[in-house]
Amino acid sequence: MARHKRIETEEQGDPEMNISSLIDCCFLLLIYFLVATTLVSEKKIDMAAPATQSESNEAPPPDKASITIQSSGAVLYNNDFTVGGAISSSEFESKDYARQKGHLTQLVERLKTLRQRTKAQGAEPLVLLRCAKSVPHQRVIDVLSALAEAGISAVAVERGSVE
Amino acid sequence: MAKKKNARANDEVSGDVNLSPMIDCCFLLLIFFVVNATQITVAKDPSVKIPSAVSCTDLKDAKGCIVINVYADPDKMDDKARAKFNKTFGGRADVIWSLADANGKTTGYSVNQQSELVTAITKMKDLYKNSKGEDGKPVKVRAYFRGDQNTPWERTQGAIEAAVKAGIADHVFGTRAAN
Repeated sequence: MARHKRIETEEQGDPEMNISSLIDCCFLLLIYFLVATTLVSEKKIDMAAPATQSESNEAPPPDKASITIQSSGAVLYNNDFTVGGAISSSEFESKDYARQKGHLTQLVERLKTLRQRTKAQGAEPLVLLRCAKSVPHQRVIDVLSALAEAGISAVAVERGSVE
Repeated sequence: MAKKKNARANDEVSGDVNLSPMIDCCFLLLIFFVVNATQITVAKDPSVKIPSAVSCTDLKDAKGCIVINVYADPDKMDDKARAKFNKTFGGRADVIWSLADANGKTTGYSVNQQSELVTAITKMKDLYKNSKGEDGKPVKVRAYFRGDQNTPWERTQGAIEAAVKAGIADHVFGTRAAN
């Protein structure tokens, strides 16, 4: 109300335009975007039914796939096909790691094929994940990210001795 | 400048106190807190360097999330993270997991304290037993693992096992979006 009054008196005496409210709005917008863009928000990857299975040496049934991550960081699909090379933890520091070395495109392609095949049979794909004890968490996230990209969330983490 | 002039002119004419700058400041503070409040979804421990991922989604509702931090070895952390780690756990270097209780107090657990971690997770889970979400449905309790990107997998697996033992089957991994 006080502002309205002032505008009226100014218009009567002085034809100058009052831009202070415009400046206020601009500052508000500026601060809003400043705050909104500097905060790094955390994201997530879901993993459904990750029952930790007991150690078993049985080969997975043909409708299941297994992914093995070795301690070197190498990723194997169905125990034989290498879909990701060895990695050192210093590489995680690189800015575009997740888009370059961490992006397991070959694995994504294979998992997409698996998903299409099992969907055609009217089933949900199940992936067994076996990781070496010393493999860095980032490498496991790379694989989980590939699974999420292929649309597979049913992952069973198996306790196994992987070297 | 225009404002100052106006204020002076007003003072000369009426002697009214100009309240508009105060209102402006109040709005600024209000917006600042509103923006910050919506950003805080889960407790974030800066000692944990979250891994990056290409395919990850936003955490829209943090209700029902039990945050379990999984730490790397202190000598693999940078100086700032190590200082925070030492401050939080009073110099204990054997801490590999941590969980904040209902009062926000963070407790660290070593590799030999998995059963204590299970008890703490179960306690947190029981807190959500009767609470309902915004849609009126019971809150879905999830274990939210904030693992450091350099932490060995056996530590994360130990935390997953603890969550499974506490009866939580829905698991979420904290990541940051790839650049």
